[in-house]
Amino acid sequence: MTLSSSLKHTFRAMASPCEVRVETQDPDLIQRVGAVVEAEALRIEKKYSRYRDDNIIARINQATNEPIKVDDETSDLLNYAQQCFELSNGQFDITSGILRRVWRFDGSNKIPSKKEVEQILPLIGWDKLTWSAPYLTLRPGMEVDLGGVGKEYAVDRALMAMQRLTDQPALVNFGGDLRATGSRSDGSAWKIGLLSVDIKNKNEAMLALHNGALATSGDAERYLLKDGIRYSHILDPRTGWPVKNPPRSVTVSAPTCMEAGVLSTMAMLQGERAERFLKKEHLRAWCIR
Amino acid sequence: MQLTRKKNRNLAGLLGAMTASLLAGGVHAQSDTLATINQDNPTRPEFDSGLDDRDTYTDEGLTRLDSAVLVYQEDGGRVQAIEPVFGVTFNNTDGSALSLQFTADVLTGASPFGATPWKGTQTFVAGIKPGDDGGTGASGSAVVTPGANGLSIVSTDVDPNQLPLASGFNDKRYAVDISYSKPWGKGTTANIGAGGSFETDYTAIYGNIGFSKDMNQKNTTITVSGNFEFDTSKPSIGNPTSFDVMSGDLKNGNRDKTTVGGLIGITQTMNRRWLAQLNYTVTKSDGYQTDPYRIISVVDHITGGPNQYLYESRPESRTRQSIYFGNKISIGDMVTNISVRGYHDNWGIDSLTLKASQHIPLGRSLYIEPGIRYYTQSGADFFRYFLQDNEALPQFASADSRLDSFSAITPSLLIGYKIGRTGEVYARFSHYKPSGKDRQANAPGYLAGRDLFSGATSNSIIVGYSYAFR
Repeated sequence: MTLSSSLKHTFRAMASPCEVRVETQDPDLIQRVGAVVEAEALRIEKKYSRYRDDNIIARINQATNEPIKVDDETSDLLNYAQQCFELSNGQFDITSGILRRVWRFDGSNKIPSKKEVEQILPLIGWDKLTWSAPYLTLRPGMEVDLGGVGKEYAVDRALMAMQRLTDQPALVNFGGDLRATGSRSDGSAWKIGLLSVDIKNKNEAMLALHNGALATSGDAERYLLKDGIRYSHILDPRTGWPVKNPPRSVTVSAPTCMEAGVLSTMAMLQGERAERFLKKEHLRAWCIR
Repeated sequence: MQLTRKKNRNLAGLLGAMTASLLAGGVHAQSDTLATINQDNPTRPEFDSGLDDRDTYTDEGLTRLDSAVLVYQEDGGRVQAIEPVFGVTFNNTDGSALSLQFTADVLTGASPFGATPWKGTQTFVAGIKPGDDGGTGASGSAVVTPGANGLSIVSTDVDPNQLPLASGFNDKRYAVDISYSKPWGKGTTANIGAGGSFETDYTAIYGNIGFSKDMNQKNTTITVSGNFEFDTSKPSIGNPTSFDVMSGDLKNGNRDKTTVGGLIGITQTMNRRWLAQLNYTVTKSDGYQTDPYRIISVVDHITGGPNQYLYESRPESRTRQSIYFGNKISIGDMVTNISVRGYHDNWGIDSLTLKASQHIPLGRSLYIEPGIRYYTQSGADFFRYFLQDNEALPQFASADSRLDSFSAITPSLLIGYKIGRTGEVYARFSHYKPSGKDRQANAPGYLAGRDLFSGATSNSIIVGYSYAFR
């Protein structure tokens, strides 16, 4: 990616390399934009990371059967998660994270027993918790995890925060989930290298993006292999088992990064039918098998 | 909220709308656009959907359809109106939007036309052209006789002690509005609109152009706009000369009115929960502003009985100014709207409007919004319930209740049900109760001490459906 007339600011957040590029020659502007974007990314990470014990996610997950009052932003996100759950007929579920307790995708052959999976299923399902904004009540043992939308949400929010400073074309990219605003000053599109899941093959494709977002859901190196069967790390929260034959990665283009992220996740959850799903929804998307 | 996927449902579209709504976050902007002046036809009663404070959705990339029907009914079998409205807004992803709106309305019933009541039978005459569907005549037993110039003359008897009403009218109006807005450079949005309203006896053509500029990290928006309107009054038998005696004769030709106006406003995000808006509006109308169907009674200065019925007379120039201060305060899911509007014109009317409403969600989809509006105004300098036969004719006089000094209170209730993230059905009920402030203690004879205020209590219901899709 060579961008002659843009400056960038890079940092690390959400366990990913993050960057913002602005079509400008003004080092002062990129510094200010960089600070705003980084601050927004870190704010959202701090607020919604499940690896912390001092945020709203921790308070919700540590509460035992008592209602937790959440702030407006969290309430909006929970409403959104609920709608995604309903739209996807239960496949997109922010309570599914605890499947990690039985599924460890370390490339090994340790797949859980049917019984282990069955024991954990009663703790999974948005429909099993009580959400009456602004109060969220989880059953004991349940957990919520906004990781499925957090990075994409941060991209959209960071881009919006940045737009208060400048109208210059810009690209916000948090670990491959990205959103561009406006064509570059010479009218050309932002060129995005779509990273292959195969390390051998460096750039699978170059995508041209004028405006809008891309998000990728992928299998990457996370899978289990047993008896010649490759178990993907894409778990269907309704069964607790991996989806059969998902693409190795799905990249979706949409106006916002959140949409792109949710749609790519939903496509992965379709397994063999991912391409059919993307086609039916008339999405610009790239599947790698 | 029921978002369960049905066959062929556009999932990506729904998700797009949900996301736009999520990212819009916080307090939504409220739209107090330039008060429309196209209802400034003096021959029509005013009715208002009361929905101007509704939230606007963030619809980028979506097409929104709005349809609604307003039913308006005045007590005592006076005016009834049915007004269907259909609108479509195309929101492009570049932030530009094109809106089209079609309105039709039908008014029927009877309304006061300026005459005072009397203890005896009163007879009014009006001319109608053959083929007119009724025209406007007084309400009572009518006799039609041939008149001059191919007109027919309707003479109508009004029973004793009744406020004379004009009936038999069946006004149909069609209006079309188009507007386009587009981002225009850094933080600026330009909008342009045009429209027309058409009745058989009145037309209005109007246009506006405006700019708004975001500043201070989008916490402040300055709006400047200007508008223009050209109205033509064209009753089938012509416009009468002021203070001519009421007759069934053919009158003068069409008369015009030109209005220009401007608005300057500032919208300020005070904090995350409070949005305030301050607007100043001025409009100037020049030309014919008289109601060609309206008369004023000249009464005997001893008995109060009618001596003559003269066509009313209004000044040809009117300058109006108003200041609006609106606030939208959101606490959790509750949204409070409070606004005050002060108004002054050079006809001598000063008015004050206070409005408050409270948006209360009941569960995820249902909400209610009770509201109250209080309105009070002073009368126009030339407002008169009647003229007396012992006084010299003034320059101007009108008995139109909208120029009278009165106050009104309007409780309302809006009930809405959200369908998905972009759809909504709603119904709003309101009850408007005006009352006159002046008792005519010094009026002569029969009229002394009577409440001559002729405004009517009315009920309105509007039922609408709004939906956006990609």
